[in-house]
Amino acid sequence: MAISNACDLNRIKIIFAGAVLFFVGCHNPEQLAFKQYRVQGERLYQQHCSNCHQPKGKGLARVYPPIAGSDYLHSNFEKVICGMKYGIQGEIVVNGVVFNQPMPGVLALTDMEIAQIATYIYNLESTDRGLISTHEVAALLAKCP
Amino acid sequence: MRAVVFFLGLSLLAACDRAKPLPIYGERKVSGTDTVYHTIAPFSFVNQDSARVTRDTFRDKIYVADFFFTSCRTICPIMKTQMLRVYEATESMPDVLILSHTIDPMHDDVAKLHDFADRLGASSARWHFVTGVKDSIYHIAQTSYFATAMEDQTEPDGFIHSGAFLLVDKKGRIRGKYDGTVEQEVNRLIGDIKRLRLESD
Repeated sequence: MAISNACDLNRIKIIFAGAVLFFVGCHNPEQLAFKQYRVQGERLYQQHCSNCHQPKGKGLARVYPPIAGSDYLHSNFEKVICGMKYGIQGEIVVNGVVFNQPMPGVLALTDMEIAQIATYIYNLESTDRGLISTHEVAALLAKCP
Repeated sequence: MRAVVFFLGLSLLAACDRAKPLPIYGERKVSGTDTVYHTIAPFSFVNQDSARVTRDTFRDKIYVADFFFTSCRTICPIMKTQMLRVYEATESMPDVLILSHTIDPMHDDVAKLHDFADRLGASSARWHFVTGVKDSIYHIAQTSYFATAMEDQTEPDGFIHSGAFLLVDKKGRIRGKYDGTVEQEVNRLIGDIKRLRLESD
């Protein structure tokens, strides 16, 4: 009897915790947008980026640079955003390794899609930048060289 | 006793199945008592070290061939990821080589191929990246390797080509075709290379 009571109590706790999470999760629009962007971003990443950068973002030897755990990503936010749309040419150094494979941009990507991919790649492994908004991306894209 | 014979037979059957040779692709002609099989036609290309690469380079070697180009962003990066697995899996097999042809020789010159191979960590002792006359590359792709390779301006990168890996035996005969963009297919290729090495001449 005591065991069954404890189980019931646990069940109530779990249901209560779930309800709290549900309400907190859904009533925080930023949190919800972040999740949506990250999920969409992963899908777009697998479609447009993973051929070269690999499905888990590890890159390929010294041909294609890694995305996951990349110091370049950290310090070149604007270049990365512009690069997705307009491409990146010339040498770049990622985690101490020199890469020099031109990356063609994908002109067809919308501001929102770039924001979604950015939200995905900037929240992999050690990086946790949170939501990157379409608004922020649009402002950056307007200033691309 | 009957059971013993039965199991002996069964194990013999199993052994036969395991020893079943890989198929030989292409047309064959029978002349007298001999069967003449389709073989890779003579070729002459230049590799990433500016060395000439011909059929002689692959004499008494098993090799895996494919067609790609360095600036390709569609299937080639996946093919190269997978070919690198083949390269690593055959590291201790001196009789196994790899031959990657560029289908964009206008852009992929020796310097480009050298840089690409170097970045991939591939040694020209075992993995040749070759360039040459464009038509010769397209022709050998289509007629010797049964692989598609041609220019097509409607494609995102301007080329249409198959992601096939072709397994060629020591006599220049095609013994296997694999989708170089699918990991499981490449696992099968690696298994078939091992089987082919056990084949007696």
